[in-house]
Amino acid sequence: MNVVNKSYSESRLARSPDHSLVPPCQSACPLHMEISEYIDLVAQGKIMEALQVIRTGNPFPSICAYVCTHPCEDACRRSQVDKPIAIRALKRFAVEFGGDRMIEAEAETKHEEKVAIVGSGPAGLACAYYLRKLGYQVTIFEAHPELGGMLRVGIPQYRLPREVVDTEIKRLTRMGVEIRTNTRVVSLDLLFELGYKAIFITIGAHQSLRMGIEGEESPGVIDGATFLREVNLGLKPSLGERVAVVGGGNVAMDAARAAVRLGSSKVSVLYRRSRAEMPASTDEIEQALEEGVETMFLVAPTKMKRGNGHLSVTCVRMELGEPDTGGRRRPVPIEDSEFNMEFDTLIIAIGQAPQISDDFRLRLGKGSTIQVDPITLTTNRAGVFAGGDAVTGPATVTEALASGRQAAFRIDDYLQHTYPLVNKEAEKTLSGELLPKTIEMIRKIERVEPPSLALEARAKDFDTVELVYGWEEAINAARRCLRCGMGAEILFQDKCATCLTCLRVCPYHVPYLDDGGTIQIPPDQCQACGICVAECPAKAIVLRKPYDRRHVDEELEHALKSAAESKSKPLIVGFCCQYGLFGTGALASLWREGKAGIWIVPVLCVAKLEEGHVLRAFEMGAEGVFIGGCGEQCSRENTAFWVLQRVEKVRKVLFQIGLEPERLQTFNLRTTEGDTTKTLDDFTEQIGGLCLASVMKQEVKS
Amino acid sequence: MIVAEQKPVEEIRQVIAPYERILLLGCGTCMTVCGAGGEHEVSFLHSALRVAQARGSDGTHSFLECTVKRQCDFEFLDMLVDKVNETDAILSLGCGIGVQVIAERFPDIPVLPGVNTSFMGMTKESGVWDERCAACGDCRLAETAGICPITRCTKGILNGPCAGTKNGKCEANKDMDCAWILIYKHLERLQQLEKMRRYYPPRNFRVIPRPRRIVNKADVDLGEDNG
Repeated sequence: MNVVNKSYSESRLARSPDHSLVPPCQSACPLHMEISEYIDLVAQGKIMEALQVIRTGNPFPSICAYVCTHPCEDACRRSQVDKPIAIRALKRFAVEFGGDRMIEAEAETKHEEKVAIVGSGPAGLACAYYLRKLGYQVTIFEAHPELGGMLRVGIPQYRLPREVVDTEIKRLTRMGVEIRTNTRVVSLDLLFELGYKAIFITIGAHQSLRMGIEGEESPGVIDGATFLREVNLGLKPSLGERVAVVGGGNVAMDAARAAVRLGSSKVSVLYRRSRAEMPASTDEIEQALEEGVETMFLVAPTKMKRGNGHLSVTCVRMELGEPDTGGRRRPVPIEDSEFNMEFDTLIIAIGQAPQISDDFRLRLGKGSTIQVDPITLTTNRAGVFAGGDAVTGPATVTEALASGRQAAFRIDDYLQHTYPLVNKEAEKTLSGELLPKTIEMIRKIERVEPPSLALEARAKDFDTVELVYGWEEAINAARRCLRCGMGAEILFQDKCATCLTCLRVCPYHVPYLDDGGTIQIPPDQCQACGICVAECPAKAIVLRKPYDRRHVDEELEHALKSAAESKSKPLIVGFCCQYGLFGTGALASLWREGKAGIWIVPVLCVAKLEEGHVLRAFEMGAEGVFIGGCGEQCSRENTAFWVLQRVEKVRKVLFQIGLEPERLQTFNLRTTEGDTTKTLDDFTEQIGGLCLASVMKQEVKS
Repeated sequence: MIVAEQKPVEEIRQVIAPYERILLLGCGTCMTVCGAGGEHEVSFLHSALRVAQARGSDGTHSFLECTVKRQCDFEFLDMLVDKVNETDAILSLGCGIGVQVIAERFPDIPVLPGVNTSFMGMTKESGVWDERCAACGDCRLAETAGICPITRCTKGILNGPCAGTKNGKCEANKDMDCAWILIYKHLERLQQLEKMRRYYPPRNFRVIPRPRRIVNKADVDLGEDNG
């Protein structure tokens, strides 16, 4: 019997790695989604698992996959190296290919209390989803004939197809959420009288702000929110040839792009600041420009007049002055710079505010928004909670979802008479600049955008502009992740002999010796390649992510167990890069256990493979072992060098114990020349020959 | 640091052959740093021995893995008592000192060396170690600009260089620096070239009795009453 007694210190100092480091993408996400986790699963080709991770943090991933403004990408530290990871596009890939449509959310009623949700925008829907999951009876009241709020009447169809919203709403209905459309709530007291114990107000910000200038009431002048509502409800407002949109936010961009689709030949956006101050998301601005929308910066209309069948607009030129309280530079009109322009239609999209009925008796704050406690989302009235745009003013869908989710849990606290635990876990956001010497060593990999609809096709109708990645593109895009906060950690500081091996082997120059003579692996710099973990002579280092540590052992034991039941000979074990394998579809061609007895052990980068794993395969009866790396496709440095070092070490031992060193080989699974299958067939044949020779040798001996 | 090299697996298999239960004992200090007998190497050797056992027909051993902070102190070995009671032999991946301290601490159990203790040296680069000190007990490095001719000159001569130096390299090995040329260059840099002119008489190795012992404590007589 073999007893493996681990080490002198493990029992005394058993502790788990530090998981409190939150990657910057995750802390930037309003929903706090485990982004690096699902990106890694996509990189491994595990789309269903990736979708599972996405769904735990996001009630409507399919909606976010289309319209999220991805603050995560703005926070992504890969932008210090080249460009951020295409997180939203990867989520879209996982949602489409992982079969999100098929997933059923289940819920059962566990509580008697009924909750009313007023408004069915993203915040209302998210709140309904989570309250229903928590077991409450939920009713959504919606003034419009259809659910969705801004998702339906605010966001144009080319950005968010209506089927996506419909799918999510159907799922909610099947979960047992009661829906009352065409029902405008006029009194909250009435809802309480109807037996609802808590109310969530999420009625959005649909009221367009006015410019307050002469001629604003002229025919041909329309506000952005009304225009988009009409377009989104399927009406086709007639705009004429020349259209101007006033404003620089996402609504202005949506209005301009919708105007292009309605057939206007000249669409101009008038913005009183410059491009740098535009609040609209960069993607939207770029797509609008691609579609032929013109932009006029530092221009503001001062008055307008209807005459001769068109609109005469007087504008003034602006210059940027001192920064205002929000930090953006204030536009100041330039004297005597007035000029006239002519348009057929002018769309005003300079902002929106909520419109809260006085009968609700809610305390309002700045910009007619509802005042709430930021943690509990409670208003001045007991049992009344509020969230979404009605509280924040116009914001993003993801922020609304986060607000709805927060409301659901706080309403649960309220109904169960518990108090919310604020900041129960001290999380540290991993941030900080990557050091230049580390950046230099990180392999530059181009960010590939998902394909988008051809320009000619866009102007004609409201089809979705952004398309989905293919498998290989998605996997390569996901492999660019730097795995912030998942890196190596010296877990057993007392075992560390300060031999400096980690410092010497790290391709990214991350470990350093501090002034006290202790080796440090700064978590904000580590790239999680795993080389130091495998090379540490004291076995003191681990990777922070538990799965990375267990993975090879588990997969190997699993493969060996299955192999033991198989009769096909010779038994060959192949440790293959999981990223490369799935990315190239090579797995299917290698997995031919019926024919040759080849068993694949997927590893998350062959640099994590240790000598002990290879020897274990031989111990369990493997006649040959090969290590298949992904070659040039690898996103890490020095992988091949360290794999070959370890291979040589094992070969030496094999020779000493009377096994031919050729029984261990390395292959590049993604060679452009040569056929992997053929190479493997040759290897199988060679191993077959070696087995035969050793049998004959045995017989001669006896 | 003491530098050693793991013995070939075949040699280790021969020495452990008579014993059934074997404790593979690593050392967490020098042997870890020089990559000969730290926890990683203990685990590697364990795996290798198991492959050999699975593939060969010679005997069945059971192995126990363990690594202590230092094998050269009794106190670190005390914690092994329970394990040692269940083993037939200890294969030490410590240096020669470790092996002997174990033998002294556990006199009833055979101790077998798993490494060849080679020299005292430094890590030149990852995976490469160089000898630097011969422990001669009479350090003259002040006169030779911090470069030891005894260890770094193939001949160990005290008044070099010899005629075998060529382009700064040693005649014994073209890739090896001539220690005396290094000394000359260093002294030149320190503006102490006059030290090259001095004659160093041959060393008298007979004055060093073995084994050596260093006593760094005073003999204090507290008198009989205070004993």
